[in-house]
Amino acid sequence: MQSVLATARVNRLAFGSRPFSTSLARCQAVPQQKPVLLKEFKIYRWNPDEPDKKPELQSYKIDLNQTGPMVLDALIKIKNEIDPTLTFRRSCREGICGSCAMNIDGQNTLACLCRIDRDASKNAKIYPLPHMYVVKDLVPDMTLFYKQYKSIQPWLQNSNPPEKGEFLQSPEDRRKLDGMYECILCACCSTSCPSYWWNQDEYLGPATLMQAYRWIADSRDDRAAERMDRLQNEMSLYRCHTIFNCSRTCPKGLNPAAAIAKMKLEMATD
Amino acid sequence: MPPTRSGLQKDVLKLYRRALRMVTSKPDSVRPKFSLFVRYTFHQNATIVSPRNVSYIEHLLRKGARQVEQYEDPGVKDCFVSHQMVEWDARRQSK
Repeated sequence: MQSVLATARVNRLAFGSRPFSTSLARCQAVPQQKPVLLKEFKIYRWNPDEPDKKPELQSYKIDLNQTGPMVLDALIKIKNEIDPTLTFRRSCREGICGSCAMNIDGQNTLACLCRIDRDASKNAKIYPLPHMYVVKDLVPDMTLFYKQYKSIQPWLQNSNPPEKGEFLQSPEDRRKLDGMYECILCACCSTSCPSYWWNQDEYLGPATLMQAYRWIADSRDDRAAERMDRLQNEMSLYRCHTIFNCSRTCPKGLNPAAAIAKMKLEMATD
Repeated sequence: MPPTRSGLQKDVLKLYRRALRMVTSKPDSVRPKFSLFVRYTFHQNATIVSPRNVSYIEHLLRKGARQVEQYEDPGVKDCFVSHQMVEWDARRQSK
């Protein structure tokens, strides 16, 4: 009986009487410190509540080793820790909402998909999308862009829907939509297009045109002729001069220029 | 002879006219509130900005156009009138 009690006590001491955090080994360990890697971010600032101040670049220095890998992480860190007045749009932080589109080091892209350049000797410049009216700091006015998207009637139009169930589509027909339906309407491509810069009011821009073609190419939609009719003028579509800035900048790796080219071909041949 | 106005001045007046016409499309009972809101907003913005600050006036024009467009919706049946607006109106009436 005595020996049973004794082994029980030994077992209790061996297990968990002292957690690792208070153990001797923990006290002797020195936590590994990463070196401080300060990088300068220059960010466009403009506040509509201060009418007499001109837009300016404000510079922030943050430690890259204390920041996530993407530019959006850096922006959020700046907003949290240095300057809460910094304004920008963000939502999903994984490249599916398209809110955080901005011009980073001269390239239109999503801040959440753009890695920070680890070279701390160079600064990173962040501007709002070019040639858009600015609402505040990095927030552009997207009203016109959304109006243009609405003007192409981006929904399925078919006068004789199937009597029962859903529309059926062959795999080949479905494959025609690949590379177009993934567009998240971040406006990176439209705002990189010089034709769109100079003729925003009439030219629809690559993002909207690719969506127009997405509905023209859809086998379930039977209004393709009307849709193409609406684009049959000098400005809406034919202001595209195949500059290819849209395909180069698309953060989702899509190719609006190819879709526009296919649409031009279809409109020219029928 | 009427005064010659710059394009920007015409744009502002055009927006003001559009806003005042929006007021007349609202029900009688709330029309004074809409009218006060429009007049106060225009006068207030006119006092804070220098007439030479063209880029800012253009910004205000875009903002105003967006706002008026929303208010023109027949679904908008009432608007908020702050204490400051009422006081501002009373001061103008007494002058």
